[in-house]
Amino acid sequence: MNRRTFLKTGLAATSLMMTPPLLRRSLAADPVTFYGLKSMSGAYASYGEFAEKGSKLAVDDYGPLLGATPRYVTIDTEGNPGRTVRKVQEAVQQQNARLFGGCTLSSTALAVGKEINKAGGVFMTPAGADEITASECNKATFRWTVPTYGAVQQTVRPLFESNPKAKRWYSITPQYVFGEALLTAAENLFAELGIEHVGNSYHSTQEQEYSGYLTNAAAANPDVLLILGFGGNGASCLRQAANFGMKSKMTILLAWTQGLDWFQSLGPDLLEGVYLGAQYWHQVDAPVNNALVKRTREVYGINPNYPLAGDYIITKIIFDAVAKAGTTDGAAVIKAMEGMRYDGPTGPEMIRAQDHQVIKDYYLLRGKGKAAMNDRDDLATVVSSGKSFPEGDQILCRMR
Amino acid sequence: MNATGEPLPAQSSPGRSGQRRDASASLCSRLPGGPAAVVAALLVLMPVVLPSRTMATEILIFAMATLACNLLLGYGGLLSFGQAIFFGSGAYLSSLVMIHGGFGLLPALLTAAVAGAILAALVGALAIRRTGIYFVMMTLAFNQTAYFIAYTLSDWTGGDNGLLDVPRPSPTLFGVTLVDLSDATAYYAFTAALFFLIFIAVRKIIASPFGSTLIAVRENEARAGALGYDTRNFKIVAFAVSGAVTAPAGALYAMLLNFAPLENIQLSMSENIVIMTVIGGTGSLLGSLLGAGAWVIISDILSEIWPRWLILTGGALILIVLYLPGGLWGGVESLMRRFRRGGGTRRTPDGVPENAGAAHPME
Amino acid sequence: MLYLFQVLNGLGLGMIYFLLSAGLTIIFGLLNFVNFAHGAFFMLGGYLCWSLTELTGSFWISLLAGPPVVAFLAWAAEVTLIRRIYRLPHTFHILVTVGISLILQEATIMLWGPIGKSIPVPDGLQGVVTLWNFAYPTYRLFLIAFTALIGFALWYLLEWTRFGGLVRAGSESAEMVALLGTNIHRLFARTFALGVGLAGLAGILSAPIRGVHPFMGPEVLGIAFVVVVIGGMGSFTGALLGGLLVGLVQSLMSTIWPEGASLMIYGTMAAVILLRPYGLFGRA
Repeated sequence: MNRRTFLKTGLAATSLMMTPPLLRRSLAADPVTFYGLKSMSGAYASYGEFAEKGSKLAVDDYGPLLGATPRYVTIDTEGNPGRTVRKVQEAVQQQNARLFGGCTLSSTALAVGKEINKAGGVFMTPAGADEITASECNKATFRWTVPTYGAVQQTVRPLFESNPKAKRWYSITPQYVFGEALLTAAENLFAELGIEHVGNSYHSTQEQEYSGYLTNAAAANPDVLLILGFGGNGASCLRQAANFGMKSKMTILLAWTQGLDWFQSLGPDLLEGVYLGAQYWHQVDAPVNNALVKRTREVYGINPNYPLAGDYIITKIIFDAVAKAGTTDGAAVIKAMEGMRYDGPTGPEMIRAQDHQVIKDYYLLRGKGKAAMNDRDDLATVVSSGKSFPEGDQILCRMR
Repeated sequence: MNATGEPLPAQSSPGRSGQRRDASASLCSRLPGGPAAVVAALLVLMPVVLPSRTMATEILIFAMATLACNLLLGYGGLLSFGQAIFFGSGAYLSSLVMIHGGFGLLPALLTAAVAGAILAALVGALAIRRTGIYFVMMTLAFNQTAYFIAYTLSDWTGGDNGLLDVPRPSPTLFGVTLVDLSDATAYYAFTAALFFLIFIAVRKIIASPFGSTLIAVRENEARAGALGYDTRNFKIVAFAVSGAVTAPAGALYAMLLNFAPLENIQLSMSENIVIMTVIGGTGSLLGSLLGAGAWVIISDILSEIWPRWLILTGGALILIVLYLPGGLWGGVESLMRRFRRGGGTRRTPDGVPENAGAAHPME
Repeated sequence: MLYLFQVLNGLGLGMIYFLLSAGLTIIFGLLNFVNFAHGAFFMLGGYLCWSLTELTGSFWISLLAGPPVVAFLAWAAEVTLIRRIYRLPHTFHILVTVGISLILQEATIMLWGPIGKSIPVPDGLQGVVTLWNFAYPTYRLFLIAFTALIGFALWYLLEWTRFGGLVRAGSESAEMVALLGTNIHRLFARTFALGVGLAGLAGILSAPIRGVHPFMGPEVLGIAFVVVVIGGMGSFTGALLGGLLVGLVQSLMSTIWPEGASLMIYGTMAAVILLRPYGLFGRA
């Protein structure tokens, strides 16, 4: 039984009591169904809207899979982890759902991954928490996003190497698990490169006002200001740093940004000259990306951004694995995904079997000024890119 | 309105809701077996009618929290924006004692209840030192404080990531497993049984001398004080009971999800609990079940239809205040009354023969 | 020196908080009405600022035209809806205004999209003023001065005009004012529009600093409540001092104990209520 059926039939109790066994029988002939966990409503609606576009595009363009056109069902996470977990349990129990992808919020992704693992399904996510492929990893869960370690390695290192005189760094960190992970990675790298960490300010993730922290930073007189908050935190912090005239006094680096949609909301004036870490950039010249940009412009009239590209490739990978395995059985699909090499939006990508982490490029971008832009979305240039991941002993995943 | 700037002793309009409560009691008692039977029937029907048992379980969990909020708001006239403190700590504490202390299901629930009662008594004791809107703001401030504490203690609570791997142990007695709760239906049945017991207990409390004094305090605090009641203590005990019910609800929620998100202790959770209480109807325990059910079902349905569904929810809140100030239960009541006036053997919406309670004269 | 600078920061911050809370407290004082939609109107002001700045190319036009638009919407809401619920308990005020803020939030997403927007700092105020070795944004200095001006104008309006006299008298006893032959409905509607218009103005003024996004309403509402409760519900002076106090606590804490900055704000509020039952300037 499907939640939509519930809508249509309303409370016709008797007919509903009859449906579950009937449906279970008919499921075998059903097309492959992919369940997209998308924050369509709630505080992460800006993310869900694009993620939904990405998954839909991947499903619509896929063609026949196991003899039928694949089906796509959206589950609205409402930005509410509890609700999402319950809806996933429902999909597993009632609709025999096994293939899931998406999730913006790390907490939701972690909890949902565990539920899907228990149900013997497959789940791939672009969420940020490192735990997904480290301490909390499990058989069902795969992650497309580069972890904080890679984000710091691929931004702090190239920036420092291009300007080794900038030895004094100050960091502003959101105080929660994710912010701590970025900060730890940065501190380790500072030690290795001989960077002097002249100070750090913590703030809560709900912080709106950065003048106090920026004043602390200015007092330390750094060469580089490293902003580790992202989303709204990063935006407010950068905006206010610009207000305080810090852009002209020091280099500013945001190690983790959401990419194009976030850049658009800030505008070129603020971004000019600022260094930005990104998981994806639409101007990257890779075959899959060029095709994705073309299709996204045709269908939606926009350039793909990180949520769109992420959920597009997640959906496509899972379908590819189903095709390769020849079945939607969770264990077989997982086996097909482990070690898979494919062309992705960032070029050649690979799924590491050991921790289910996708090995892909991370980008260091620099914001362009208005004058240098060729089109509305030409907001940054790629300074450098590369792959950095915890290796060997540093892989903390014990697969469950 | 109270234009003198004098704080209102109670959030309720004196008299009106009191009558409503009496009316609901009398209407209910005319149904065969009284409200307890109605609840029992609903508990049996819910998993059959609703699209899933997990959803039915969620409704009951929030109905418990709503019931506890209703006890404060509907009977004590105390509008608490701090119910998430108890809901969230119940979830965290029970999970922690199960994960680190090896507690079983029932001891974990009991821990939550006791801790919830103590915490609520503390919050209540401080907050009731102020009245009216300052009281509301105190509870709000405590909620924010609790949230930041949970957020900061991330080693224990998981912080922003939430507390993962919460077990759902099966209840045992002398080493014998009574029932396997990993199954969704069994867990629903367990929650339903617990809800039923709590429902009966809260009804008993309200019918007791304590309950009638609480209502007297709400209606006229000065007079109750003059009669020799220590109104402070009554309010603190009401808070403690409310916490003792809300915290196990949070514990059950964590076990349902195998996960305790930080959102459990956020101010928006308190807000939702208050909204469910008022939608259902304050001062009516059956209304709490209705309110929680309506909130969960409607947001589920709407979120499937339209990503901007919160507009409709916002509109519904306004319409309820304007046209259904007695909440859904108030609506059901006036419907039942209309049927009654229609006479004949027409059936009430619950399918109960209309003349079933005719032996009891109306008020 | 660092602390001195944080005090300056706190003053700037406090003035925004004052403007944000002044409307809330005036509405509560006269109407005894708890407006949970105050933050949503603040957001609306910010978005109007973005649209008008985009449209006309001038921040100043949006500063002039934005607040009346927000005030007009508030007036319309008062006349059609809010007027009907004054006599209901606070619980219902909260429900209706939560409903309004949900509608405004979602309508904003539909109109302007779910992604936030940036508003450039107006020309001429973009630079910084260097004091000793610290830089302070010119725009924030302008903000302090401008808000002080608005505060003074408000004080004049409330203390020295007929309208202000009625508002103050009405806060003491609305019945009395009505009996003296004043159209109390019109007075209430105007006061509501004025209070919410101030929220819109605050939203516009802080837009170049904070940008706008659809979910900012509840964030600022929390702060506004803290300020109003600390200052005393209904007290204009209280909103000013409460705003400055919260601003100072927040700024100084970000140097002394940044992890606890948010916690301290609510701690201050609880402490003030416990020590002074009706806030610093509230009436019993």
